[in-house]
Parts: sequence; C-alpha cells; structure tokens
Amino acid sequence: MRLLDIFLLSISHVKKSRMRSWLTIVGVIIGVASVVAIISIGQGMQENVQQRLGGFGADIITVIPGYFRATGVHSEMHTDRSVSTSSSINLTDKDIKVIKQVPGIMYVNGLVSGKADLKYDNEKTVVSVTGVDTSVWKLMDNTGLDDGRYLQPGDSNSIVVGYNLAYGAFLQPITLNRPITIGGKNFRVVGILKQSGGLGGGSDTGIYMPAEVAREVITEKMANNQFTSMVIKASDASLVEYIKADIEQKLMSSRQVNPRTKDFTVIASALIREQMSGVTQTLSLFLSAIAAVSLLVGAIGIANTMFMSVMERTRQIGLLKAIGTSEQEIMKLFLIESGIFGLVGGIIGVIFGVAISLLIPYLGIQALGFGGDMKATITAGTIFFAIGFSVVVGILSGIIPARHAAKMRPVDAIRYDQ
Amino acid sequence: MNIIELDDVWKVYKMGEIEVPALKGMSLKVAPGEFLALMGPSGSGKSTAMNMIGCLDIPTRGSVFLAGQDIATLTELELSRIRGKKIGFVFQSHNLYPTLTALENVQLPMRVHEFIEADIWDKSEELLQLVGLSDRADHYPSQMSGGQSQRVAIARALSTNPLLLLADEPTGNLDTEAGKEILDIFSQLNAQGVTVVMITHDEKIAGRANKIVRMIDGTLAS
Ligand SMILES: Nc1ncnc2c1ncn2[C@@H]1O[C@H](COP(=O)(O)OP(=O)(O)OP(=O)(O)O)[C@@H](O)[C@H]1O
Ligand SMILES: [Mg+2]
Repeated sequence: MRLLDIFLLSISHVKKSRMRSWLTIVGVIIGVASVVAIISIGQGMQENVQQRLGGFGADIITVIPGYFRATGVHSEMHTDRSVSTSSSINLTDKDIKVIKQVPGIMYVNGLVSGKADLKYDNEKTVVSVTGVDTSVWKLMDNTGLDDGRYLQPGDSNSIVVGYNLAYGAFLQPITLNRPITIGGKNFRVVGILKQSGGLGGGSDTGIYMPAEVAREVITEKMANNQFTSMVIKASDASLVEYIKADIEQKLMSSRQVNPRTKDFTVIASALIREQMSGVTQTLSLFLSAIAAVSLLVGAIGIANTMFMSVMERTRQIGLLKAIGTSEQEIMKLFLIESGIFGLVGGIIGVIFGVAISLLIPYLGIQALGFGGDMKATITAGTIFFAIGFSVVVGILSGIIPARHAAKMRPVDAIRYDQ
Repeated sequence: MNIIELDDVWKVYKMGEIEVPALKGMSLKVAPGEFLALMGPSGSGKSTAMNMIGCLDIPTRGSVFLAGQDIATLTELELSRIRGKKIGFVFQSHNLYPTLTALENVQLPMRVHEFIEADIWDKSEELLQLVGLSDRADHYPSQMSGGQSQRVAIARALSTNPLLLLADEPTGNLDTEAGKEILDIFSQLNAQGVTVVMITHDEKIAGRANKIVRMIDGTLAS
C-alpha cells in the first residue's frame, strides 16, 4: 500500500471519530502549551538575571573587609559595619593606594556605606547612604541617569537619589534641586538615577554623595581615611581572575596578613554571574521536568485512545489483512494516526504556549525575588523542539497499540463480534 | 488446474486442555468456473472450511493449494499478498470499512495492491455500476441498507480480478428480496466466468449454485 493511501486511511479514522480525536488532542495541547510556556519563561528569567547582573559588569571587582572562614565549627564573618569601631578590620586609603598599583586596573572607587536619618517635606525615614569618589563614580556607574547630573569633584552638599526612593517613597516625589536633610545636614538633589531593578546593591532606594560628606552624616562612626568597600573596574573583563589574585596578594602583604589571618574579601562579579546562571538553569530545567509530566499525561491519553481504536477496529483490521495488507502497513496506519494527534496537538499547543508566554509581561508578575517584571523569551528552537517532541511522543504512544493491531491474525479479527 | 485444493485438511482448536477438531480430514477441489455451495448444519465446520479455502488460516494437518501452490511454502507476507489478490471475500456482515465511502471501499483492495490510479477509478466506478449502486458512491456504510452494503462488498471483492469469490453466509442478514438480489449478482458473475464458493445452511439458496457440497461434523458427506 502506498504511504499516501495509508495516510488518507488514517485521516479517515481521525475524521470519523472527531470528538474522541479532539479530546485526545486537547491532552497533548495542554502538555505542549505548558512546556512551551515554561521553557519560554525559564529563558526569560535567565535573560532577566543576566541583565540585572549586567549592572555589576563582568569587569568589576569588589573588596570588602572581613573574611569568611569555613573552618569547621569555627566559622565567622567579620563584616560587621554597624558596630562603629575603627578596629583592625577596616579598609583605608592606604589600601586604595596599594590597589591602584595593581596592573590592569582602570578605576578604584572607595565607598562609604551606612544608614542615615532623612527628612524631606515633613516626612522622616532612614535611608542607606553611599559615599563615593566623585572623580570616578560617573565613569563606573552602569545604572544611568533619569534626570540631572552625576556628582562631580567639588560637590559637597549635592546628592544623587535612586529611582524608587525619588518617585515611590514619599507623598511628594523628589525632584531636582529639592532640599533634603540627611543626618542633620542640608543637601540639594542634583541627579536622579534610572531604575536598575537589579541586584547591584540597591541603587534604586539609595542616596549617593561624596564619601567625605557621607562619613559625617551616617550613623556609623568612620575614621577620615576609612572605607566600607572598594569597587574596582578592570581594564579588560578577561583579566579579572588574574587581577583579583593580584589584589589579594598585594593587600595581604601590605596589611601583613597571611591566608589564615586574612581580614578582607575580594569578589569578582563575573563569578557570581556564572553561579547565578547555573541556578536559573537548574530552576528552568526543574520547571521543564514538571511540564514534561503534563506532556506524559497527554501521551498516555494518546496511547489510551489508540488502544481503544485498535479494539474497536478489530474487524477492520481483519478485513485489511484478508485483502492483503501487511503487518508493516497496519503498523504505519496506526502510527500515522497517533503521530497526527501529536502533530496537531503540538502545533495548537505551541500557539497556546506562545500566547501564554506573551501574556506573562502584562500580568506583571514580579520575578521570584529578582525585581523587575517577569518576561518570557520564545525562540524558534523552543517551537520546533516542542512540535517535534510532541510528534515523537505521539508516535511512541502509538507503538504498542499499533503492534497489537499488526500482530492480529486475520481469522481471529474476522470472527470477532460476529 | 484447480483454483483451490484441500487435501486431507485437519483443523483442531485448542481451548486450554480440550481439543476441538473442527475439520477432520476434509478434501475439496474447486475448479475454475464453478459455482459451488458449501452446506451443512450449524457447527459442522463450514466457517472453518471457509478459512482454509480462503487461506486465512493454516491447517493443523494436511495441505492447501492455492492455484497449484502449497501455501505452507509461503511466508506470511507472501501468503497475505497472494490471498488478497486472488481471493475476493464477502463476509456475513460488517464487510465494509466504516470510515470510507462506498466507492472508497471498492477501491481499498486496489490501493492495498498498488494499482495504477487511473485503473483504480475506472474499475471502482464500473463495479459499483455492476452492482447497481453508482448513485450511492459517496455514501458511508452507516448510510446504506444491509443489502446495499453486501453489494458494495461484492464489488470490492471483485476489484482485484480474483480467481475466486468466496462468500460466507452472504445473505444471512438479509430478507428474502435483498438476498435474491445478491444471489442474482452471483449467478450473473458466474455466467461471466467468475468462480464462486458460497457457504450457506439454506437449501433454497444453495439451489442457485451448480454444485452442492455437504458437510457433516468436519468432513464432507459422501
Ligand atoms: N476459534 C475457535 N476456537 C475454538 N473452537 C472453535 C473456533 N472456531 C470454531 N470452533 C469450533 O469448531 C466447530 C466448527 O465451527 P464453525 O464455525 O466452522 O461451524 P459453522 O459450520 O460455520 O457453524 P455456523 O453455521 O453456526 O456458522 C464448532 O464446534 C466450533 O465451536
Ligand atoms: Mg459459520
């Protein structure tokens, strides 16, 4: 029998039991739609995280005081900035000088971070303040300005405000040139940052001012030459690993510590990014596995329908065999039918899955703790994979019923239900 | 050469421990041009004999020759192909493929045997006309009467130009009038040279054949 004729015969089956065919296909549609939606959302999430982490920059290295030691039970973290001491665990301008001598470094920004009381338009709150080096900050910031300008050398009572703090925290939004009192000192807003939505240190809710001024207003006591962290920009992202090692080496010798007594930590954000994308990859793999289960349910639906068809069509199978149809041709007849269920279910499922994915941003679901809106990324790969997978699932679910049909003996099939 | 020859054919059905011999050494020759009626009471083994004559089943013992060839020497696939082409079947009921129209049903064996498309259409239309159902070409089996279905089944059985038309109780489900129409078609075909073997337990129907063979308890009555 020619393949086209087998195909047409299969189609005639699908068309004759229309209701059951559609119910079978609906099972596949649900499975495929959830697979497509979940893969798309997973990819969107991954891109989201990459974007947010992009705020850190692959070429950024951070130095913080304290060192996390996992020495059995005796693990400790010396990053206690809220305790105002000028104890040994501190970064100073001496460290900045040392770091600046490391080859491959473009800028070093010594940061002074802390909390401060804020008074604005009769409202009071506590905000986090970041004191920056005004000469390099604007060169290193990735967030960008929504309005106004960056800080510049010579500024003393000027501040730049994060987007959410400016527009979302007070009854009266903060705008340029508005007076704000921080830590009892009067400031003028010269710039407002764009919304970063990122993991990059909460720039959206922070206030930026020159480091010298920050030391005066924050509630934590800081010595004049003291910093809470340092952000370093490398000249080339590919050198980050070496530069990081170099900084560690130089700081250890200048601070006269050894790997055991080390009292600072150097972090390369590129490595964090790798870890994060690993996490999201695992997460989307996990979600895809859940979606695959619903596709499995669809597959069982196909197999069930095919078994029912084979049973119902025992006489037709006998007839086909009596007139000379081979086992292989009968196999094909049923496999094409289950393949059609997979194909049609796959195509419609992809349409639904894409629709769901496109609706996600409008639903405005906040991504799991990453901030920003959830988005879905649909790729041609996902679509072809989903349809192809669905067809394969359809054919596989048909194999056992089809074999069952093909192996029937014509006499038994003709006797049946006589 | 005989179209079909059964030589001392036994068929024993095993039902668990019990063995039921349905055929006990039956021998039969069907010559070209014959219109043969196979008669016998219920349970005498007529349907089992028909399975042997139609090569739908293989005997437990003894030989079946189809156009001179011992079917035991053929593979299952070869037998299936030869049987489909050389023997046209008309069963008692549920003869037609329910998802296909009358015309498509007549075309089905020709499609199985990969006839040329133009021949498929010519032949199927010609055969529907022969059984007087040209106006029902696009009807599905569920839209036809039992007699009409049997006539379509005859048209289909003839589509591959078989050596033998084999019918098991073809009028069993029909009233006298519709049954007569079917028998008229058989007679007409036989007059044109088609070999017909018909199984029935009805003397009147068997009377239309030009040779009657009687079965009792798994063998031919002598
Ligand atoms: N598949 C089978 N398994 C077991 N026994 C069978 C089988 N087919 C037929 N038989 C037995 O073989 C014997 C002959 O059966 P068969 O169907 O050939 O009779 P028949 O002459 O066609 O009867 P009827 O006129 O009622 O159709 C019966 O005793 C029947 O019970
Ligand atoms: Mg019978």
